Amino acid sequence: MNSDIASRILSQTTLDASGPFLAFAIGVLLLVFLELFRALQPLRSVVFLATLAAAAWAATRTMFGPELSVFEGTYVANSTTSSWSLLFVATTLIAWAFGRKYYREEAHLEGEHDILLLTAASGMVLMAGSRDLLVFFVGLETLSVPLYALAGFRRSRRESVEAGLKYFVLGSFAAAIYLMGAAFVYAGTGTLQLSGIQARSDLLEQPLAITGVAMLVAAIFFKISVFPFHLWVPDVYQGAPSPVTTFMATGTKAAAFAFLLPLAFALPVQSAGLIAAIALLTMAAGNLAALVQTDMKRLLAYSGIAHAGTMLLAIAGIFTDPELGGASQAILFYMAAYTFTAGGAFGLLTMLEAQTGKPVTIESLRGLAQKRPGIAAALTLFMLSLGGIPATGGFLGKYLIFSVAVRGDMIPAAIIGILLSVVALGYYLRIVVAMYMQSESETQTIPAESRPLASAMALVCAAMVLVLGVLPGWFLTNVR
Amino acid sequence: MAINVMTLSVLVFLPLLGALLIAATPKKAVGMQRGIALLTTLAVAWIGIALCLRFDGSSAAMQFTEVAPWFTLPGGIDVHYRLGMDGISVLLVGLTAILGPIVVLSTWGHIHVRVKEFMVWLLAMQTGMLGVFLSLDLILFYVFWETSLIPLYFILGIWGGERRLYATIKFFLYTFAGSVVMLIAAIWLIWTAETTDVVRLLDIAGRMPVETQTWLFAAFALAFAIKVPLMPFHTWLPDAHTEAPTSGSVILAGVLLKMGTYGLLRYGIQMFPGAALEAAPWMMALGVLGIVYGAFLAMAQTDVKRLIACSSVSHLGYVVLGLFALTEAGLRGSLLQMVNHGLSTGLLFLLIGMIYERRHTRALDQYGGIAGVMPIFALFLVFAVLSSVGLPGLNGFVGEYLILLGTWEASPWLAAIAVTGVVFGAIYLLMATRKMLFGPLVHSENKSLSDLNGREVALMLPIVVLCVWIGVQPNVFLDRTDASLRDVTSRIEHARSARTASIEATPVHRLEIEAR
Repeated sequence: MNSDIASRILSQTTLDASGPFLAFAIGVLLLVFLELFRALQPLRSVVFLATLAAAAWAATRTMFGPELSVFEGTYVANSTTSSWSLLFVATTLIAWAFGRKYYREEAHLEGEHDILLLTAASGMVLMAGSRDLLVFFVGLETLSVPLYALAGFRRSRRESVEAGLKYFVLGSFAAAIYLMGAAFVYAGTGTLQLSGIQARSDLLEQPLAITGVAMLVAAIFFKISVFPFHLWVPDVYQGAPSPVTTFMATGTKAAAFAFLLPLAFALPVQSAGLIAAIALLTMAAGNLAALVQTDMKRLLAYSGIAHAGTMLLAIAGIFTDPELGGASQAILFYMAAYTFTAGGAFGLLTMLEAQTGKPVTIESLRGLAQKRPGIAAALTLFMLSLGGIPATGGFLGKYLIFSVAVRGDMIPAAIIGILLSVVALGYYLRIVVAMYMQSESETQTIPAESRPLASAMALVCAAMVLVLGVLPGWFLTNVR
Repeated sequence: MAINVMTLSVLVFLPLLGALLIAATPKKAVGMQRGIALLTTLAVAWIGIALCLRFDGSSAAMQFTEVAPWFTLPGGIDVHYRLGMDGISVLLVGLTAILGPIVVLSTWGHIHVRVKEFMVWLLAMQTGMLGVFLSLDLILFYVFWETSLIPLYFILGIWGGERRLYATIKFFLYTFAGSVVMLIAAIWLIWTAETTDVVRLLDIAGRMPVETQTWLFAAFALAFAIKVPLMPFHTWLPDAHTEAPTSGSVILAGVLLKMGTYGLLRYGIQMFPGAALEAAPWMMALGVLGIVYGAFLAMAQTDVKRLIACSSVSHLGYVVLGLFALTEAGLRGSLLQMVNHGLSTGLLFLLIGMIYERRHTRALDQYGGIAGVMPIFALFLVFAVLSSVGLPGLNGFVGEYLILLGTWEASPWLAAIAVTGVVFGAIYLLMATRKMLFGPLVHSENKSLSDLNGREVALMLPIVVLCVWIGVQPNVFLDRTDASLRDVTSRIEHARSARTASIEATPVHRLEIEAR
């Protein structure tokens, strides 16, 4: 009996399906081991990168094959989850590259930083592959707890500690709501698996179950920063160290969406209108608030809220979209474009910030095109991509998302949404205006300092934004 | 195997290649940057003219077509990289190609800071504009349509006048808001028709029910009407023109606005003929309103550049009027007038730029009696004004005449009102010319103005030659457009007969329902 369970768990299928998670987990253990010996610490970067490479390799193994369902159907690996895993690898790499040489006072804690980062990444992989409410919860906490620590990582700075605490308190609250919701769902339906919940067509007649589902969705909405659960975002994004902000803005959002997609199929069709309304309100709240920001990180935080709203529009369209898997592909592509765009943009901010030691404001960006033409050009590209201008990944992502809404017969919502994206250009252009069209401010000058790794990463992000916009063929065919 | 450079892809992407080359030059090498820009635009002009000459005007089919697979959208819709030229785009491509080197040469006088960036944006813009005219794939068209906003955004924002930031953002947000609504319509159209091929879409969309067409037409036309700009969406234009550097104004008036009128013809009338028939009275009314309102606006201006910008609103009103007369004469006239407006208004902006470089003011009352000091300038200005007001023998006359003829066939009343615009146009332009050139030389600063130099004369000569050539032999140009325009009119006739049939059929239908 015991050997039977053991052989089932250790089968080739199980190993294949959980490959990316195992890679991250082993990486974490290796890094912890390295911390014990001072002599081995130079190997840290090598181990870190090898872990990412192994995770990416493991993800590609399940990318083109049939869907693998393991652990009694609570965890799956298919082309979609593999694509998400690849995206998480990219997110982690971006956050790691921009984090090098960023921490001054905490430089001796770099090992901890890397371990926390990898642990969080393993949580994201678990979230994306889970098809069970509890497995997802394990993933969510594996992601969140390291993030609480990372948000407060610059412990000598008040705002960083404040961000960590804020995120911890509100995040725990969301986690509690999630658990309560899962308990309600279990009480109402007798199952925790998504397939089991989906099979119950009488969900609406079960007050307990439907309340539970609503609580689950609310908790996930908190993680993806959707109206009205978005208010923590600007404070936490602003206070957290910039490389961590990069990770939160792209990674957490992606992992939560990865689970929201299969969960959405368990929702009653009637919720489409409500979700669309929430999506539009989120876009409005994010974009209008971003218009009046002066601090760049805060501005990008609000812009991130608006982008979450845009992606939520595809979730609203999922019920009526005749194109099966269209919403999933749209959100994946949008999220990939957003990861490289926002990742690159936040990354450039870490570079500027590390040089001056002060937060980057729009005012401080004035005249940057003359001083640092490379950074200004890259930041412009990222702003255009965030604004959804063609020839960038942001445009095609926008196209795919609004295609879902149009196919799902939500044309009025699509028109309101896309007009709200025009509002967004108002502030993206303001940044370009400051860099290119206004003369340098006298108070703040940005001295040049070379951080080759960060520069290379910014270049890779810019290249990816262009590739996703101009040559998206491979991604559209294989990433779905 | 010799590589064929006479292709549309080379034409479209050569400017971008030049831009990348310039971007790689050292910042201080201004001479090299200008040289590369000039050589590139000359090569583009050469290829563009050669292709226009080779173009077979007797066929309505797309010519010099190029197709390559690009990517696949969900639902298995294949997006292609597709270029091609027909009678609707041929003249506009020629215009864009010819204006290139002229604009580059004109920057010698007024762009002295950040020359490198300017040339990069200028060339990138040419790629965008040519792409808009030559794209035969709706996605590709949209990509060019929106990316062509970016270069002008920078040109206006960096090298513009005092209120440039306001004008830049206004211009961008206005035009962007219009085009995103078009994007939603395009998404729906592509999904329904299951293709992005414009040639196939023209047939599929034309067969859609008129009500569907009308919704799509409204969304597409909004984007184009803002770009043209048609009254009441015109307010961004005077601001943009006033603040833009000379070369920016020339491109804006010369080519960029034509993207709007081209769009109205291709993606409005040709694609949705049924809806165009329904909308024609409204669009014509807006056109006439623009003619008269633009003329009145122009009369009230004291800034000469703003005056010409307002006259653009008036002149483009003619183009829209002629297009939506939906008659052969109207369409021919409009297409020709697009080119004419590009040439004569481009010339006017060049001249205003040249005098501004010398005198640093555009206020009309700061001039007077310049003709004595700058006779060559005066000669060119009078020529440009006469071409603009439609003096017989010059280009403007042919276009306006054909437009009014076509409008007369559709609606004599509107034609009668539109004629007043011709009169007003003559009044304000000639009055401004008189104030600038003739009368006593009151301002002493004007006495020492130097006349145009060789470069300035040389860069304007091609435009002058074209103005006269179109005026004398319009058929050389019109012949190339005829076959394609006949295709448009046949679509309109088809839609018209379908409408008549449906109107006749309606009472029967109603009786049937009542009987039930």
